[in-house]
Amino acid sequence: MKQPTGSPVERLAVLGAAAGEAVERLRQSPVPVIEVGCATCGRAAGALETIAGFEEALAANGVEAEIRRVGCLGHCYAEPLVTIRYPGFPPLLYQKIGPGEAGILVRSFLKDGSDPCYEYLIGALEPDENFPTLMDYPRYLFEKRVVMEQCGLIDPEDIDHYLAAGGYRALAEGLEKGGEWVLEEVKAANLRGRGGAGFPAGRKWEIARSVDKTRVIICNGDEGDPGAYMDRTLLESNPHQVLEGLILAALAIGAGRALFYIRAEYPLAVEIMEKAIAAARERNLLGEDILGSGFTLEVGVFKGSGAFVCGEETALISSLSGHRGMPRPRPPYPAVAGLDGLPTIINNVKTLSTVPAIIRNGHQWFHEIGTENSPGTAIFSVVGEVEYPGLVEVPMGVTLAHLVNDICGGVKDGKALKAVQIGGPSGGCLPVSLLDTEIDFDSLKKVGAMMGSGGLVIMNEDTCMVEVARYFTDFTQGESCGKCTFCRIGTHHLREILKSITIGEGRIEELEDLEEISTSVIKGSLCSLGKTAPNPVLTTLRFFRDEYLAHIEEKRCPARMCRNLTAFYIDLEACARGCDACVACCPTEAIFTTSNRKKAIDQEKCVKCGECVYACPPEYDAVRRVSPPELIPDQGVQPLDSGAGSEKEQ
Amino acid sequence: MLEQILASLDESEREAIDEEELQVLERVESELVTFPSEPSHLLPILQHIQARHGYLPKLALRLVADYVGVAIGKVYGIATFYNQFRFNPPGRNPIKVCLGTACHVKGGDIILENFERRLGIREGETTADREYSLERVACIGCCALAPAVVVGDKVEAYVTPSKVEGIITEIEVRKEMAAREQKKNETANG
Amino acid sequence: MSEKIVTITVDGKKITAPEGAWLLPVCLEHDIYIPSLCWLKEMDDPPASCRLCLVEIEGLPEPVASCRCPVREGMVVRTNSDEILKLRQVAFRLLVSTNDGHCNTCIANRSCELQQIAKFLHQPLRTKRLRHIDRDYPEIIDDHPVLMYEPKKCVLCGRCVYVCSQNERGYKLDFAKRGMDTIISFYGSDIDPAAKECADCLACTEICPVGALSSKEKWRRFIAEVRLKQEQKKQKPS
Ligand SMILES: Cc1cc2nc3c(=O)[nH]c(=O)nc-3n(C[C@H](O)[C@H](O)[C@H](O)COP(=O)(O)O)c2cc1C
Ligand code: SF4
Ligand code: FES
Repeated sequence: MKQPTGSPVERLAVLGAAAGEAVERLRQSPVPVIEVGCATCGRAAGALETIAGFEEALAANGVEAEIRRVGCLGHCYAEPLVTIRYPGFPPLLYQKIGPGEAGILVRSFLKDGSDPCYEYLIGALEPDENFPTLMDYPRYLFEKRVVMEQCGLIDPEDIDHYLAAGGYRALAEGLEKGGEWVLEEVKAANLRGRGGAGFPAGRKWEIARSVDKTRVIICNGDEGDPGAYMDRTLLESNPHQVLEGLILAALAIGAGRALFYIRAEYPLAVEIMEKAIAAARERNLLGEDILGSGFTLEVGVFKGSGAFVCGEETALISSLSGHRGMPRPRPPYPAVAGLDGLPTIINNVKTLSTVPAIIRNGHQWFHEIGTENSPGTAIFSVVGEVEYPGLVEVPMGVTLAHLVNDICGGVKDGKALKAVQIGGPSGGCLPVSLLDTEIDFDSLKKVGAMMGSGGLVIMNEDTCMVEVARYFTDFTQGESCGKCTFCRIGTHHLREILKSITIGEGRIEELEDLEEISTSVIKGSLCSLGKTAPNPVLTTLRFFRDEYLAHIEEKRCPARMCRNLTAFYIDLEACARGCDACVACCPTEAIFTTSNRKKAIDQEKCVKCGECVYACPPEYDAVRRVSPPELIPDQGVQPLDSGAGSEKEQ
Repeated sequence: MLEQILASLDESEREAIDEEELQVLERVESELVTFPSEPSHLLPILQHIQARHGYLPKLALRLVADYVGVAIGKVYGIATFYNQFRFNPPGRNPIKVCLGTACHVKGGDIILENFERRLGIREGETTADREYSLERVACIGCCALAPAVVVGDKVEAYVTPSKVEGIITEIEVRKEMAAREQKKNETANG
Repeated sequence: MSEKIVTITVDGKKITAPEGAWLLPVCLEHDIYIPSLCWLKEMDDPPASCRLCLVEIEGLPEPVASCRCPVREGMVVRTNSDEILKLRQVAFRLLVSTNDGHCNTCIANRSCELQQIAKFLHQPLRTKRLRHIDRDYPEIIDDHPVLMYEPKKCVLCGRCVYVCSQNERGYKLDFAKRGMDTIISFYGSDIDPAAKECADCLACTEICPVGALSSKEKWRRFIAEVRLKQEQKKQKPS
């Protein structure tokens, strides 16, 4: 490829103009464009089938259109998401488009532009007189998209899209003004690390810059939290933004080596990032003498092998060097002596993704978003019992209540909110009474939770808090590296005690053990995995002690979730004679017909999967769940004589 | 390299290696040379073998160890540290049940149990006919579609106990059809 | 390490040491005992994994492992505060909760470091407070031509792995698996002819604090002795 000449800014202007033209040509194309969200989540929801559906329908109807794959908008509840750019219309966003809907869209809309299919429409991506726009929805109105601004709107595999949207301008400016200026700007912005701990990125960079050796910068894309996926989304949906941030950080610390560490479970992210690196290299945004500035940098991609603890900085470095991914005691801090003993900076995907915006808009702009001590935005993956699950980007400082109720539509099915679990496996469970807590690094820490990975699980009255604590402890225990005594054995005891409580074998004295072991593990563990692992235990003990007591003293699970302490039965009053809906769904054939042709559950066979609750037609709604199991009323159930009568009738 | 290693084994040990494993080993040996022979490349090498062959045979670890110049015990120590690696051949239809937070809240463990019951194996095991293997995984990043299961490399969303049945039936039907197809071809050719 | 000598205060006692030396050996030299399992004085880079050597240092928010805490001028250290004693006790209870506790038939009986630490911490060798964790391993692993390993005795201090790695022909044993399943493994020594050379070294069996590693030969002799004693005991009272 022929490279432009001049200063970095001039050279970028040439690249940007060419990209702008290419994208504009696409926009102006007389052929409609169909954009399908094809990040991992979209694919799981069937995006590839949707594409096949479009292709088939286009061919069958002789319609011409271009299909493009884009990333994820973060509106996972509405997946597969499709945007249609039809000449004369604003870009229109559609939800839940399967192959069938694709066919309808082709026949009704794409063929002749007659009917834009309002029934599947979310809204227009640009303000328009005739269509509701996305801004009319609370999800869009209250969100503040800085890092995720372009996600799902641009083609992640085409660098021109990013360039045309102003991409790499920050890099060009940084190259002209120099690494020190970038560093000062990020420091002044007080950008705090989004990987969990919130350590100011600028301060960390400064430490590395002061060590006179080859410096290394690593983007931490290990994202091991079992309920968060925003890093993956950013890597898959806007890889160039992360890459630009990484190059800027490299410039700021004067790095000679740069790496992405991406977990093995994210093959698509790895593939897309590798493409992005190649494309950037081709345009001299990477490699030797970047944009003629004299700054040289190569970037590699390293795949993690699946170990949560490898997200921890020192463990990540061990695993990069080809060892067991075990954390090492600090000091020395990686910023002073990390990979191969070289000063090494590790930053989260979101941290680096924020850098280009700060450089483009200046640190004052950044301080206008968020709070004084936590400027900028926070991204949460909101999952669980919530109306609109997905990725949400909000300014720091909004309250949890606002996030859950206003932005994400509140709890599903009109049930009552009971608690939110924030910060992933090392975060805490907060009760409704703490919903006024502001979302920022310091406020969350004060109530015993943390920003962590940005996982946010919404739990309703049917979620048992002891079980939630057990689940997270089970996770951290399984992921403990096994090096230090407290974390290896302490979390095991925590898990065993919690497990025994959830199956009704807990002893009251063990609550004390839970507390004592938890505080010791926090104080004594070697790395932050152990130091934060007991948080779910301690917060649930603090805010939901009555649930622990109910399990231990009454053998009762108030949420009726713990399977050993609950039972299902069929209310004979409500059950309809002759209806067989539940029988077919039961995986263990525990449901039998009673002497009066209704249904009952054989408690011996029942595995309490709850499938019959859903199978029972809503007009009967006859399946009941009780805790403790002794609460099943005696309804005088008699099985239908298995003798002659019943067989013959059929 | 492989030859030397094989030569150093006892008769009985050599006999324990079946044809299939031997083929894997031969391919591993030829693929190794594309990697730098340094200990820091151990993980990429192991990842490659895992991805290509589905598991890490013991002698493959030995090959790798000799290639990068570390002890086999160290290679084993590294491989067993990470979730990604397997030491036995997987089933033809690997099933991974997500037990991430969202899937757990939505009953992922019940789904796992249903697979266990349906296939008659426990999590981490492979059926005797090597048709299915069952594993639990932490978050595959499809939380809004919970509970999710990965069958082969396809993600199944909103799985329920009855869908478990459907998934297995679908695989069985496909297998049946392939078998019939093959038979038809054989009779046509023969 | 610089040659500068600094003065620090440990439990109210002033002591001097070269700046930057690890705190644990400095204390031991001055007769201030701090329990430890994973540390060896030859180590340049102690793993700080057993967490028995935690101490409090004035000005630091949380306890630190003394085995890899460099001494600095004016440092004020406490090795016996209530909090530290409590942490050590919990760590010790955790360690022994995974241990089989069969001292009488153990090759390390009376020379076992766990027994010594138990005495110092006034803790029983079998904790009643916590449930016993029976790790899912056989009593004995012996797929090595010379060595054998008793996983239910092992405290995973890692000293054996360290000494083995120091032997240039070493690395016959290493950590394997992760978390609670972590063990010391001889993996591959059955297909490695060089493993027989371990008979000339046996450094790992000597460094093990609890007798979880022994040479097969010595172990066989020991077991024969135990059997003999048991026989004699049975016969005597009757
Ligand atoms: C057990 C554990 C797991 C972690 N996992 C991640 C992770 O997946 N991604 C990440 O960016 N940071 C993770 N961290 C935090 C990193 O250690 C580190 O603080 C972070 O990458 C620094 O980047 P930042 O300053 O940009 O936040 C983890 C920390 C611990 C203790
Ligand atoms: S705290 Fe846990 S993960 Fe961290 S070093 Fe200790 S055992 Fe390993
Ligand atoms: S001796 Fe310090 S942690 Fe083990």
